[in-house]
Amino acid sequence: MAETGTNKVLHIEGLTKRFGKLTAVNQLDLKIYQGQIFGILGPNGSGKTTTLGMILDVVAPSEGSYRWFSGQNNVDSRKRIGSILETPCFYPYLNAEQNLRIVSHIKKCDESRIPKVLKTVNLFDRKGDKFKGFSLGMKQRLSIAAALLADPPVLILDEPTNGLDPQGIAEVRRLIKDIASNGKTILIASHLLDEVQKVCSDFIILRNGIKLHEGKVNDILGDKDEILISANHLSQLHNVIKKYPGAKSVIQKGTDLLVELNEQGSAEDINQFCFEQGSTLTKVLTMTRSLEEEFLKILNEN
Amino acid sequence: MRRAFKLEWLKLKHYRFFWILLGMYLLALFIICTFGVFFLEWLKRQGADFDGIDPTLLPIYDFPDIWQNITYLASFVKILLAFIVIITVTNDISYLTMRQNIIDGISKKEFLLSKIALILFLASFSTISLFFFGLINGSIYSHVWGTGYIFDELEFLFAYFYDIVIFCSFGLILSLLIKKAGFAIVLLFLYSLMFEPILTLILRESEWTRDTIWAQVADFFPITAMNGLIPVPYPKYIFREITDNIPWKALVISTTWLGVFQWAIYQYLVKRDLK
Repeated sequence: MAETGTNKVLHIEGLTKRFGKLTAVNQLDLKIYQGQIFGILGPNGSGKTTTLGMILDVVAPSEGSYRWFSGQNNVDSRKRIGSILETPCFYPYLNAEQNLRIVSHIKKCDESRIPKVLKTVNLFDRKGDKFKGFSLGMKQRLSIAAALLADPPVLILDEPTNGLDPQGIAEVRRLIKDIASNGKTILIASHLLDEVQKVCSDFIILRNGIKLHEGKVNDILGDKDEILISANHLSQLHNVIKKYPGAKSVIQKGTDLLVELNEQGSAEDINQFCFEQGSTLTKVLTMTRSLEEEFLKILNEN
Repeated sequence: MRRAFKLEWLKLKHYRFFWILLGMYLLALFIICTFGVFFLEWLKRQGADFDGIDPTLLPIYDFPDIWQNITYLASFVKILLAFIVIITVTNDISYLTMRQNIIDGISKKEFLLSKIALILFLASFSTISLFFFGLINGSIYSHVWGTGYIFDELEFLFAYFYDIVIFCSFGLILSLLIKKAGFAIVLLFLYSLMFEPILTLILRESEWTRDTIWAQVADFFPITAMNGLIPVPYPKYIFREITDNIPWKALVISTTWLGVFQWAIYQYLVKRDLK
């Protein structure tokens, strides 16, 4: 997990958007700090995209306010934000390079970074091809290139893997993680729990425009995974595993033992430890806890 | 302004449709400037005469009258320039690139400024082109020569420039409101070449309205006022009637319309949510 700074990148206060009778976003407060990978989680129509639209100045808020980079002018702030919204928006009759030239002109950044970002997203060989001939995955990658063009400290992603094939999804996620590892702040809106779980450090849950929950992903999931182990002599294994320094707790579940790991523990390590202690494991199963159960629990509580 | 124009230029530089329309417009200007000679020849063959004067001797290319003559005719094809404006604006709407431009880091005002820069560019480009076409034809056919004649009545070139700016601003607001290039073009075409001119004609000429206040109302219509900037030059050859300056009334009314268009465009763009 990236080191979280104390510099506030975005401060949202009481942000509200009404479309006629419908309140799409209701009194949203949010603070995002430098280095966070922040997920906005919610079902379709929960107000995620409207929220992003407001903080990017394309949707006028009905009430409330937001501040980028502790109060910098919004237009200049947006030059320092890379945004990838649901659909990649480019000029179909221009090629990749010409499209990025427009972005670099708007962001007032040097055109010399264009080849570099095209290489990052693996589109350098196609730079002379017109956007309209691109596959969805390539279009999405060009959006990422455009977002990275100004080397921005903040990235905003709206459903970044929507409509992509598994390979494209994996690629986009890898890119996000690479970018995050450089200490950038990332804000992701997604309805995919799995996505938020895999990449985010912090998240909020939004439903009908109302914030239901805010917290760290790890607080919900626990720091480490749980491991299910089993051996022919279960009681002997139980005694052995109690001595294992990587175990936080051990619970018996039927003929298996559920071991919750602390920072030092790993599946490989457990296996070796038990073997050295004279217990041969017949089963080692890593249980990944998912955000899904927690998410449904939170939705039901409210 | 330079930055605003460069944004538009980057969008249009490699857009084939833009160059085709601009080329067509230039060709139309060229034809308008040179066809006068052939038109007079045709009149002669038809047996027309003006008080016994051979039509080919009519001094339509004489400086400084040439400026009023060609700007009057050229203003009929300004609709091609408005098409360029409509297409670039509706492109930015339908490709969602207007929204993307703003997200990337310009204000709505800057976006509007880039379209205004385009309009000013188109107006300057065609005014300069027309000036050269006039100069070339005048130097071939004009019976008089000399800077005093050539640079007299250049205000019609200004009127032509102004006419394009206002008309394209009208195209700009139509494209923002209608959002679809086809509809906006058809509407602009019908309104500026049919609806308003026909209504103006009815108000001014029908026996019920021609001597009433209604005939005056037509002067306040936007297209009528714009077209009024360059008065019809030909009566001077028939009736020896001379209106060879820009009418003040048309100038004031069309300037007001320009203000209204720009204000409405700005208000609309700033208040609207971009989806």
